[in-house]
Amino acid sequence: MNNLKVFLNGIIKENPTFVLLLGMCPTLGTTSSALNGMSMGLATTFVLVCSNIVISLLRNLIPDKVHIPAYIVVIASFVTALQMLMQAYLPELYATLGLFIPLIVVNCIILGRAEAFAAKNGPLPSFFDGLGMGLGFTLALTVLGALRELLGTGAIFGFTLLPASTNMLVFVLAPGAFLTLGFLIALFNLIKK
Amino acid sequence: MKRLSSSFMNMVLSLTIIALVAAALLAFINSVTQGPIQTIKQKNEADGIKSVLRIDASEEVKVSEAEQDGFRLFSVSRADGSYAGTAVRSTDKAGFGGDIVVLVGFAADGEILGYQVMEHAETPGLGARAGEWFRTASSSEEKQVGSFSKAFFGKPDPAGNHNIIGMNPGTANLTVSKDGGDVDAITASTITSRAFLRAVQSAYNVFKGQQADAATSATAQHHE
Amino acid sequence: MAYILIFISAILVNNIVLSQFLGICPFLGVSKKIETAKGMGLAVTFVLVIATVVTYLLQVWLLNPLGLGYLQTIVFILVIAALVQTVEIVLKKLSPALYQALGVFLPLITTNCCILGVSILVANGTYDAQGLEPNLLTGVLYALFTAIGFALALIVFAGIREQLSLVRIPKGMQGMSIALIVAGLLALAFMGFSGMDKGIAAFFN
Repeated sequence: MNNLKVFLNGIIKENPTFVLLLGMCPTLGTTSSALNGMSMGLATTFVLVCSNIVISLLRNLIPDKVHIPAYIVVIASFVTALQMLMQAYLPELYATLGLFIPLIVVNCIILGRAEAFAAKNGPLPSFFDGLGMGLGFTLALTVLGALRELLGTGAIFGFTLLPASTNMLVFVLAPGAFLTLGFLIALFNLIKK
Repeated sequence: MKRLSSSFMNMVLSLTIIALVAAALLAFINSVTQGPIQTIKQKNEADGIKSVLRIDASEEVKVSEAEQDGFRLFSVSRADGSYAGTAVRSTDKAGFGGDIVVLVGFAADGEILGYQVMEHAETPGLGARAGEWFRTASSSEEKQVGSFSKAFFGKPDPAGNHNIIGMNPGTANLTVSKDGGDVDAITASTITSRAFLRAVQSAYNVFKGQQADAATSATAQHHE
Repeated sequence: MAYILIFISAILVNNIVLSQFLGICPFLGVSKKIETAKGMGLAVTFVLVIATVVTYLLQVWLLNPLGLGYLQTIVFILVIAALVQTVEIVLKKLSPALYQALGVFLPLITTNCCILGVSILVANGTYDAQGLEPNLLTGVLYALFTAIGFALALIVFAGIREQLSLVRIPKGMQGMSIALIVAGLLALAFMGFSGMDKGIAAFFN
């Protein structure tokens, strides 16, 4: 029951994108389509869950003064592992997401959760926290990607829904990322009140 | 369990152990994934060559590779020894966003069998459409626009053709129609289109050059 | 000529924040006042150039010869973290005035993804060197100009936000929402530069 609460917390109440405004670079940079956004979200979730579990297990073995470098090593190892696995088994996706895969290391969500949750809780709650936060991030990226893809190319996940005459290309390009997220956050604020 | 104290010994030990375990783990994953990464690279290249020469992906072929002036040429012959065509990897440095790398397949007479855009940094939705644009016929929507302007303004039909498959760069003028050529540029992406067509044209030139070399060396041998 | 093109491309055409989406966190986080924006811009420029040199040399002299290219991410982030710490300590000792100006921003820089991002781009030689060979010189210039582009975007954005704090904004749009929309309009303005570097290159060739 408690774990469920931890899990849902990351998806809605403390949604990393819409509420905490963390990890903005991949949020804006990889959401030119719903599929790209979702893939980036799932890649981040993988690293977040793994690093949360390992850091939670190691939390008493790491002296306080060196906890940041130790966490960074753990996170960077998982990112590197992910990089190699994606190159081997999902090469096309790896090419699309490009530089943003190694940059998962500096995504504030991951180090933030390690500090705020995994360093203080056991492995099981940490797992649910990582999963909830990761899926909350994935959800936000997928919604953003779907909206941009729909407005920009008239399709969602590659399925065409709108005729070509309604396409507004700017939404697939850089300015569209800022604008769409800006309006989505306004909408989220409106609903919360 | 209490947290380890931050004594110097503990700090060095814990960091060293974590770093060593991480390095060992990554070295292991690296050794496991290196094989598949290499195979995928080779397979992608082989599949690309086959697809631009319109050869079935499952067919066994013999590829001989040559390099000339920075271009890579892949001459392909079928299992029975007959010549299937040559794929040329060609780069143009002046795309809208940077280099455009294309792989173009030519038949013996220079006819374009197919192409693939291997690398590009063009604008999504505009120049990035080059991968599809130059192998599809003009859509009915574009045709309508064309006939509309023809009927009302007496202008020539702007929606000509942008399908380069089946063209022969030796006889056709492989530049955009704005420059007097035979190919329609991608809508709102003339720079990308020019760069793309230049890459195809230079691929053709290298291909023809190699053919000529092969012919002279063949006749030279004949005289002996 | 190509050096001028790298300059134009890194600052205006492919602005690191407004078209590459790197370094968004400090762009949104420390852009409320022009003064702080200037400090952050300077600190990023400082660290980015040093980090690029160090990581490039590490890649060429250590990782590549040993066949450890796959450890790039982990080595780079540790080096950058250590470097930021060192810069902080050295500045404190050598130039208290400069430390006063940059000190608060330095800890934030480790997780600024434009540092790691640019380091990786330069070490792999996958940045746009405008027809020049990707080497240490072009890499460092690229890093320097990229950082200037970052500072420019940050300061311009901070200027707009200072003005924005004086006007009435609908409730739901307050805070990050309106900031993102302003950033979007700024990105739209910077899109006007797109293709300019290639255009100039074509003109002079």
